[in-house]
Amino acid sequence: MEHRFNGYVRDDGQVGIRNHILLLSATLYANSTCERVAHTVQNTIPIVHPLGRCQIAPDLEQTFRTLVGHGVNPNAGAVVVVDHFKEAGCEAETIAHEIAKTGKPVEVVNIRRSGGAIQATMELTKHAVALNREITGQRREEVGLDALVYGINCGTSDVTSGLAQNRVVGWVTDRVVEAGGRVIGAETTEMMGGEDQIRARATSSEVAERILGYVHRREQEILATGVDLRGSQPTGDNMAGGLSTIEEKSLGAMMKWGSAPIVGALDYAQRVGTESGLWLMDTPGHGGESITGIAAGGAQVMSFATGGGHTINHPLMITMRLTGNRESWQHMQETTELDVSGIFDDESLEEAGERLLAEVLAICDGRMTKAEALREWNAFAITRNGPSV
Amino acid sequence: MTQETQAQLRGLVVHPEDNVVNLVGPGEAGRTVHCVVEGRDEAEQIELRDDIPSNHKLARRDIAVGEAIVKYGLSIGKASAAIDRGEHVHVHNIESNRGRGDLQG
Repeated sequence: MEHRFNGYVRDDGQVGIRNHILLLSATLYANSTCERVAHTVQNTIPIVHPLGRCQIAPDLEQTFRTLVGHGVNPNAGAVVVVDHFKEAGCEAETIAHEIAKTGKPVEVVNIRRSGGAIQATMELTKHAVALNREITGQRREEVGLDALVYGINCGTSDVTSGLAQNRVVGWVTDRVVEAGGRVIGAETTEMMGGEDQIRARATSSEVAERILGYVHRREQEILATGVDLRGSQPTGDNMAGGLSTIEEKSLGAMMKWGSAPIVGALDYAQRVGTESGLWLMDTPGHGGESITGIAAGGAQVMSFATGGGHTINHPLMITMRLTGNRESWQHMQETTELDVSGIFDDESLEEAGERLLAEVLAICDGRMTKAEALREWNAFAITRNGPSV
Repeated sequence: MTQETQAQLRGLVVHPEDNVVNLVGPGEAGRTVHCVVEGRDEAEQIELRDDIPSNHKLARRDIAVGEAIVKYGLSIGKASAAIDRGEHVHVHNIESNRGRGDLQG
């Protein structure tokens, strides 16, 4: 059966599964203005964070790239970038200029130029209402899985992760890639111990070397701290769930990759390439930072596989959660969409995989996830390497 | 005993070469675990030597100090103590080979 979904085909060829107006804060001092308007005007999503100022140059560039990536993500039908003054290296006008290349409407609000936070709130409200009038008449069109960029991540993992939910995600990864789609995997820390598989599955030695370089750099950073990684990775809750070492966690995490070829390596928040296959992004194991990188890379939808259950939810890249731990399903189904614990009884991998794929496609068609309905905007987090300066 | 606790205690061996088993549900010392090996028809029977929490691992055979702990057919670390068949295998008797900043210099 050919799998299809209905999305918003953008001028640049990307396909959105939502048609939101993004209120993008360029620096932390514009956060509250974005949040005020997001709570007032329908269909707006605030992107807020503590960064964009006094960061060392590579970190500031990473913040800039992440913000632009969110504006470019096709789930945003329009964007307003909000700035409090003028931030060298992370200027609202430059961010807006990059996003406008997609052809979508982009506006800028500058709090100082507006005459203060109250005036800026009014200006942003007017923009948000006008943009809703401009974009909400757009119709969804039917497209194939080749239009999908599927994000995969796991978190609060336990032993069930590598045996059930990550394998189910891997099954869907293979279906998306077979149909010409792209998948973005990440979590470099959880590639430690999986180097042989990366070498064997990468379509070129250049791709393998870049990914192994990411893994090596992360491991060196960990060693430089002079402590045993255990306790941080695996985390305390991972260990309570039965995971004993980072290698065990890694091999279980890599089940999400299915058997698809690894076609490319991506720096944090780097835009995914055009080739169908599995792309691996350099992100930390921190769930919010990892999925934010994947959203900036262009994924419209994400399956987040969890052992202990989760509330994690990205504000723009529609995130659905699944677990194979029956107890976690019982405790956390208010923010979990799918239970695949039947794998431990008599459900086959294929049956569970078909259920996950059907859920992902329904969400692409517009079905809200539980956390989306709750406006759980908890997982926009830009990673950083250096201190504030 | 209730129906629930009388039910067969099961274990999963993910790869035929693994020397550890994942317990499905919690188990008490003395109980027998019916271990299903991926790709094989007959189950192996292993008696638990410890109380083991849900989803944790037990040894499929005796493991010597320093020997690799094998799951998914690959090493996930090494034994930091001798481990008997049926014993709980976790952070108290396995060490990771990776991320050991504490052993540097």
